[in-house]
Formats: sequence, structure tokens, C-alpha cells
Amino acid sequence: MPKRTDIHKILIIGSGPIIIGQACEFDYSGTQGCKALREEGYEVVLVNSNPATIMTDPDLGNRTYIEPISPQVLEKIIEIEKPDCLLPTLGGQTALNNAVALAENGILERHGVELIGAKLEAINKAEDRELFKEAMNRINLQVPRSGYARSVDEAMNIIKEVGFPAIIRPSFTLGGTGAGTAYNREEFPDVVRWGLECSPCHTVLIEESVLGWKEFELEVMRDLADNVVIICSIENFDPMGVHTGDSITVAPAQTLTDKEYQAMRDASIDIIREIGVETGGSNIQFAVNPKDGRMVVIEMNPRVSRSSALASKATGFPIAKIAAKLAVGFTLDEIRNDITRVTPASFEPTIDYCVVKIPRWAFEKFPGSDSTLGTQMKSVGEAMSIGRTFKEALQKGLRSLEIDRFGFGADGKDTYVFQHQLVFEDPQDSSYQDPSASYLKEEIIEKLKRPNPDRIFYIRYALQIGLSIQDIYQYTKIDPWFLVNLAEIVDMEYQLRNVKKDVVEWIREDQKIVGV
Amino acid sequence: MNETELKNIILQAKQFGFSDRQLGYLWGVSESDIRRLRKRLAIVPVFKTVDTCAAEFEAFTPYHYSTYETESEVRPSEKGKIVILGGGPNRIGQGIEFDYCCVHAVMALREIGYETIMINSNPETVSTDYDTADRLYFEPLTFEDVMHIIEAEQPKGVIVQFGGQTPLKLAVPLERAGVNILGTSPDSIDLAEDRKRFGALLEELRINQPPNGTATTVAEAKTIANRIGYPVLVRPSYVLGGRAMEIVYDENRLSTYMKRAVQVSPEHPVLIDKYLEDAVEVDVDAVSDMSDVYVGGIMEHIEFAGIHSGDSACVIPPRTLMSETVDTICAQTITLAKALHACGLMNIQYAVTRRDGAEQVYVLEVNPRASRTVPFVSKATGVPLAKIAAKIMAGISLASFGLPPRPTIHHIAVKEAVLPFLKFPGVDILLGPEMRSTGEVMGIDTDFGRAYAKAQAGAGMMLPEPNPPLDKRQVVISVTDRDKPAIVESARWLAEMGFELLATGGTFEFLRQHKIPSKRVFKVKEDRPHIVDIMKNLNTALVINTPLDASSAYDELALRRCALEHHIPYVTTVAAARAAVLGIRSNLKENLQVKAIQDYFST
Repeated sequence: MPKRTDIHKILIIGSGPIIIGQACEFDYSGTQGCKALREEGYEVVLVNSNPATIMTDPDLGNRTYIEPISPQVLEKIIEIEKPDCLLPTLGGQTALNNAVALAENGILERHGVELIGAKLEAINKAEDRELFKEAMNRINLQVPRSGYARSVDEAMNIIKEVGFPAIIRPSFTLGGTGAGTAYNREEFPDVVRWGLECSPCHTVLIEESVLGWKEFELEVMRDLADNVVIICSIENFDPMGVHTGDSITVAPAQTLTDKEYQAMRDASIDIIREIGVETGGSNIQFAVNPKDGRMVVIEMNPRVSRSSALASKATGFPIAKIAAKLAVGFTLDEIRNDITRVTPASFEPTIDYCVVKIPRWAFEKFPGSDSTLGTQMKSVGEAMSIGRTFKEALQKGLRSLEIDRFGFGADGKDTYVFQHQLVFEDPQDSSYQDPSASYLKEEIIEKLKRPNPDRIFYIRYALQIGLSIQDIYQYTKIDPWFLVNLAEIVDMEYQLRNVKKDVVEWIREDQKIVGV
Repeated sequence: MNETELKNIILQAKQFGFSDRQLGYLWGVSESDIRRLRKRLAIVPVFKTVDTCAAEFEAFTPYHYSTYETESEVRPSEKGKIVILGGGPNRIGQGIEFDYCCVHAVMALREIGYETIMINSNPETVSTDYDTADRLYFEPLTFEDVMHIIEAEQPKGVIVQFGGQTPLKLAVPLERAGVNILGTSPDSIDLAEDRKRFGALLEELRINQPPNGTATTVAEAKTIANRIGYPVLVRPSYVLGGRAMEIVYDENRLSTYMKRAVQVSPEHPVLIDKYLEDAVEVDVDAVSDMSDVYVGGIMEHIEFAGIHSGDSACVIPPRTLMSETVDTICAQTITLAKALHACGLMNIQYAVTRRDGAEQVYVLEVNPRASRTVPFVSKATGVPLAKIAAKIMAGISLASFGLPPRPTIHHIAVKEAVLPFLKFPGVDILLGPEMRSTGEVMGIDTDFGRAYAKAQAGAGMMLPEPNPPLDKRQVVISVTDRDKPAIVESARWLAEMGFELLATGGTFEFLRQHKIPSKRVFKVKEDRPHIVDIMKNLNTALVINTPLDASSAYDELALRRCALEHHIPYVTTVAAARAAVLGIRSNLKENLQVKAIQDYFST
């Protein structure tokens, strides 16, 4: 299918200021989208209130508005510029929400502006909890079991379906007030009663708990000819319960069996078709129960996301650029891969290395704030690293973070330094700890149970004081495959310590030769 | 242990991702010892390619990462090459602005025929797009990792001044390792950052800075504070970015600060500066090629000095400064750029005090590198400062750009910071000397009030409209004694525009004395319904609250958090209150005009 010739001018909405949860990845996607569309001869109108973006450079778009992003402002711009279409999928949730408002207010229709990339119906299906659940039911995919209750009696009926443990979320409260988890039939009514009381509309959502399940994401693209490709699979090192933006993530997924991965692929293809995202990229999140392998769909973003930026960088496949080209009618087989120049964009990327992304937090700037990580994202940035193995990539990632660490511990910056490692040295330093001290174990276990920015380093301490992989798994629910890799790094550290004397001799000799 | 055994264990450690720094720590030797030993044993990384196809097809876009294997896929070219070091992960104080500068440096250097090599570790950025630079290395920005790339590529030079603190702190080690640092020399950067050297330079140039001193004991701190007079700005010398910085009004607070916040010692001295109360802060971005200087933008801050420049709103061109003051600022900027042999970008922060109709200029800080405000200034004035600076660093003269001495613009641009307080329950939302914003927006228009209102709207705070509906016309005012005189005019305008003023005890009395009608409301601790009860009923259109004193800290925190969580527009300084009132007066809803940035500079 060739590109569309009935449209000439395209409006792209950016994501506005950098906030937690919406950072410069949308400058990246907006810039790419704009370049790709101009390359094809379209006129591009850009809107973004953020002056620090490349996308608002005066020579990038044909017309650039540095104005607040609101339906009112966008309508004014549409009146002046009269674009043929609006591409709302490159500017994060801000762009998507504004596009939905413009569509629902009839402004787009009034000015003859077509939504491309994702239609209103598809956006609503993906974003509305109930519609999404119905859609998943139609294609025989599971979502976490749930139901709304307005009384304890109703709740008792719902819990039969949902099962324990269950999460009780009051509707319309700020910041999750009144939410709780019930593990058994006895405490359940009390949690529900409290939730109902907190909710201004006296309603609670009772949802199956997927806390501690393994979390995965797939980046998927579809074209108008209904071709679908999987760009990248991403596995969260931190299990469900920690926001993806606050999780260490790894690409490609490391711990799925081929069968499980194929099931997830098939599900993703069915989902993008059922939701009806006609062109472009989507991000789909899954949770897998480590006990029985049950897979549920958590959510779908019908747009380019933070994970798409990561997937683009991890694979070399430019998702935003391809999404923009698909939106104007190209099909995946018609777009050439810039890197190889011979393969088309319908050729799924293959990775022969490992990519690790680690979040960067800034709790030190907010004294008194709680550093526990949960479902609301708190990190302000991220670093990505590439290595041949997970171990190599993880250590490179940790030293990329600008937190004055130079790898997975063993860099002179550790909170605990244990005596038994010092094979050839006297433990004179008072900061050396006896690894068998009981208070230590408690401290370390507490840090393992509660997701927090330093948890990764506490896994090392846990290994050093002799906790087993199985124990650490119980406290963190981090897949044992990752824990085994971490243990191998620690073993290597001990091997290195053991050859200290020999190495130092070599270095002395070396110094003599060069005269240091 | 023989050489093969030694080689094997080091190679395996490197394949497990251990850095030289870690190996040095584990073996009790220095990083450079490890480096030397590795080189002797020929343990160096190779570079592989990210090519979408696991090497099944040839790759044409050089996008690389390092690893310890045998075959390198990098084929360095013979062209003139320049390495640009990126900013690493985003964090508060170091965000997208530096990525913008790096990308502009790449574009500019490509334009003049250099091959550009980008090194960065942040996947969210434009700089790490595979087609931004000629070559991309996705690697940590540490000395070890950067040196490997430099050794493989042999570039003509390295640019460290565009990526913020991350690459800047590599300047000295890289230079020591024999790498050519382009632009302002690491020694000049040190001259600007070293308090003693910099103080001497200012004295020589006869440029004012606020009286200051360095204390190594509590007693010394008190002596210095008494000499220069309270209030003083205190901070530990070894922390960058305004952390643990505080404004102290008396000796009691000084003692508490010295005990609580810092462990003062000869190795860790405390810096004490005179805090210039009610001074207007001014930020300047300039470009210099050592013989000429272009003063790219003069930004007047809306909040007074003492609030971190990254958290303060600012406006181009300056609004309230006398033209002589602007001239003085330009002249001092040029003098300082030349004295520091600045080559490339430079940022200077000034404070301007006013007494008896005269304005006095003080230099607060000079940073001979890209600043956070470079993109804002470039967008507001239409002159791409980072691109010009990059070309200058490659040897092109400033004169060849044919720029006027300073920009002339016929519009007003306001920058506003965006803060993440909503994500951190319980944390106070007051601004201070420590930066906490994550991002920024720009409002551009021909009228200050409208530009300010647009910036607020962009930052998510919709200012109310004049003649508000009955159920949305309350304005809550509660300000500290020092701020009361300054709030009178804003309050009067609000009353005239049909708002109902609600004020707490002292503020209520003060407004009554000035014949401005307001209604007294209770503070949280006084009685109910108190101020927070009233705000929760959602009839409030605006909250003006400046910090009172420690005793009402809790009370006020509740008030400010309530405003934040219920999305009620709020301001916490009198200067911002005044700007907000001007914004309301401009009546954005009626007068909303949008204009493409290309049209602002079309003539």
C-alpha cells in the first residue's frame, strides 16, 4: 500500500514538560516522527510547551507552536493551521488525552481533522478498564479477576470469583487512600468496610492480587494490511507491584520457556487486532504466575511509550519513525531498515546481546519522602547498558547511574563490608561487620521485602551473609535465574579477592618496569 | 600464578562486567594500576554493533557497545572526528536541556564536516538515536569506558561542556591522560569553581560579589556571619547543586544548622555568603571565542534570589531592571568571559539589589559551560547558542556568525519550572536553594501577563479568570510579616477583579489597615472551619501563602499540600503572586493568541 496522497498537513502533539513518568523519551519519539513525515513530503505542525526539546527547534517542523497543551489551545492552532490529520500517539499520555478530548468535543470533526495512528474507539478500548476486560474476554485472554462492590454482601459474592489474596481499592480517592490487601476470609469484610467508608461514592474494586508475579512487556507494531511484528520482549527484574518505570528491566526476556514466549507473542498479536490499533506501535504488559504459569494481560498502551524508546535503543529498530510512516499508509514490508538497508521493517529484530535498564531516583531531594517503590512511578530517569551477558550489562548499568557506584558493589562504597572476605588483611577498620550478627540479617531481610532503590545492593549483602537463593526469592520474588547470576558475580568477587597477593606482585613488578 | 592464569582471571572478571575501579578496590591498588596491567596483558574491550539482525546482514549505522571478546566490529575512519560526551541518566538538575545541547553540538559539527561520535547511556534521549551522530557508543560515562572509545577512535578532540556535570567531571582525568579537551580549558573551569581563585580574579577585575567567607569551625562561622551581617546563605563546600544549602537569619539558627546539617571540619569547610534580601536574580547565557563575546540572553528571575535558579520562573527580556544595570551586566559578562578565556558557552548568575533608586550588581556564580537555560534562551531569541558554541570550539570565529552584540526581540518569553511534589506525599512544596524541579515550560506572547499565564498553564496551573463565578471566587491569602507590604497591591487588584479575599489573622489586619476588604479565616490550629476546611470545599480559585515561621510550619504544610492535591492554583512567594495577578488581569481566556515560533522571527 503506498503512502496516502489525500493528506498533506499533519499535526503532532508533544508531551509538554518533563515530569516523573513522562520524560524526554517523547522528545525522541516526536522528533523521529516529525523527521520521518517530512522525509515523505508532508507538512508537519508541532505543539509542545517544553522549550528544551529538539522537536521544538524551529527548523525541525514546518510550523512549531510552543504553547500550553490544552484542548482550547489546540483548537486555536487547528483553526489557524487547518491540518488534515492529527497523529496523537507520539506524545505520551498528554497527547493521547488531549486528542481524545478534541475528538469527543467534536472539534476534530468540525474542522475535518482525521485521527491517524489510533482511532478514538481503539484508544477508548485500550484505556477503559471495563471495555478492555470485555475485549480480552472476547479473544479468550485473561485479565486479573475483579469486580465492583457497593456493600460487604456484594463483596462476599465477588471474592468467590476473585480468590485470595485480593486487593481492595476504593473508587475516587486520592493517592490510594483506603486501599488494602486481604489474605483470608476473616479479615476481608473489615478491609472492604474500611474501603467503602473511604470512597466518596461508596464503591470498591476487588481485584485478584498479582503481586509477586513475573512481569513482561512486548512491543508490537501493526500496519494497515494487518501485518504484525514483535519488536522486542522486555522482562522486569522486579516482579509485579513495582511500576515498570521503577523496575530494573532486561531485554530480551530471559526466563520464559519458548512455549510461554510463543503464547505471549500470539496473545499480543490477538490483542493489537482486537483493540483495533490499525497502525503503529503498542506496548502490552503481561503478568505470569510463577507457580503455575498462568498468564494475565495487565494493560496495553495504544501509543509509543517509555518502553518503546527503550526497545528502539535496545534493538536499533526505530519504533516512532516506523509508527509515523505506518500512520500515513505505508506497510511494514514497504519500509526499509536503515541499519541493514536490505531488510524491510517487517523483519523482526534479533538480539545477540543483553540489555539492562536501571531507574535513577532522586529521593535525596525530598527529605521525609518514603522511598518504598510501588505502583506509582517515582524515578526521574534511567540508564541503559549493553553487554554480552546479563552480568556484564547489569554491572555496566550500575556504573552508568551517576550514583557514585562502579558496579554490583565491591567498589569501596558498600554499606556493609564483611570480615570473612578479607582473606589477606586484618580487619582493623571499624566498619567491618561480622556476617553472622543477627541484627544484620533482620536489616537485610527488611530491605529485601520492601522494594526500594538500594534493594539490588542488599541482594549482594544477603548472598554474603549466607542467605540462600531460595530465601532471597521468598523475600523479593525476583526470579531465581536473576539471583543465580547475581550470586555468580559475588563468587567471582571472592575468586578475585583470593588472588590478591599474586596480582599485587604482578603490579609491583609492572610499576618497577614503568618506573612509577 | 603465571601470566596466562592472571590473564584468564582478569579477562573473566571483565566479561562479568567488573570495572577497573572495582578490581582496584578488591586488590587494594589504584584504578590506573589495573589499567596499566590490563594493557600489558592486552586485555582491552572490543566493540560490537547493534544491528537489528544479530549480524546476519551488514550494518550501515555504527551503533556500538563494548564487551570483552576477540573480534571488534568497529572500523574507525580516517576523517577528522570529535567526541561529544552526553549527560547520562536524567535526574533533578540534569535533564533534557543537556541532551538538547549535545544534539545541537552534533548537528553543528556535522555541518562543518566533522565526523561526530556520541557517547551516552540514557535511552530516553535524541542523542542516543542511531542517526543523530555519525557513530553512537551506548556506554557508561566513566573514565575507563570513555577512554576505551577514545583509544579505539583517536578523535581530534572531546567536548565535555555540553552534557552537564557528568562529562565535566571527566575533564581533568581525560586531559591528564593526554586527551585534547575542546573549548574552555579544565583549568579555567577550575578557576571559576575554586572560591579562592575566583574571588581573587573578581577583585582584580573590580567586579562585586556578595561578602563571604569559609569556616572550618562553628566559632569561625559565627565570626564570619557577624562580620558580613545576617541573613547569610550557608552550605557545605563539598556538595554540588544546592544540597543542604540554607538561608539563616540569626546566630541561633546558624548554630543549629552547623550542628544538624553539616559536620564542619578543616577538610569539609562550610561556605558562608551574605544573602542579598529581595535581590533580583539574573541569569546570563553567553558564547565566547576568547576574542569576542555574544551575550545571548539576559533572564530576569521572577522569584527573588535564594531560590534555586532551576526552580525559579524567569523572563526574557528583563522587565524591571534599569537599562544601565543591563549594560553593566553585559559589560561584566564580556570582561569575565575574556578573563576566563572562555571558549564556547558560559553562564553567569547575578544578583541586583535596589536601594534609594540605585541598582547594584553582584556576581554570584560563573559556569564556563552549557547551562540549563541554553535551550530556553535559544528558543526565546531565535539564536541557536549551542550550535554556535560547538562551531567556535572547532575553531570557527564568533565574528563569522555576524551576530549583533545582543539580541533584540519584540515579544516576551517566560520560563516556568515544573515540580514533582504530587508524587511525594507529605513533602513540603516550598521552593528553596535546592533544586527540585524535573522540567520546564515556556510561555511566549507580546504581553508579560499573558506569557506568564501561558507558562503557568503549560506547567499545569490554570490561573483563574477575572470576574469569577460565585462558587469559585475565593482567594486565600496568608503571608509572613516581611511580605505583607508587597502583597497589598496584588490583593487590591484581586478584589477589584471580583475575587473574595480570605485572610488569616495578621494578613487580615494588615489588609484592613490598607482598606482592602477581606474575610478573616481560622488557621488550622485556631478553630474550625479553618482554612483547609474551606479549601476542601473547592470554592478556592487561588492560594497565596508565603512561609511564616517555624511554629506554624505544620499548619502551612497542610494548607499547601491541600492546594496541591486538590489542584488549586497556588503561589509561595510574593513575586510569583504579583506575576500571577498580572496573568489573571491579562485574561488569557479572552485574549488567547497562538503563534508559531517561526512567525516570531520571520522578519
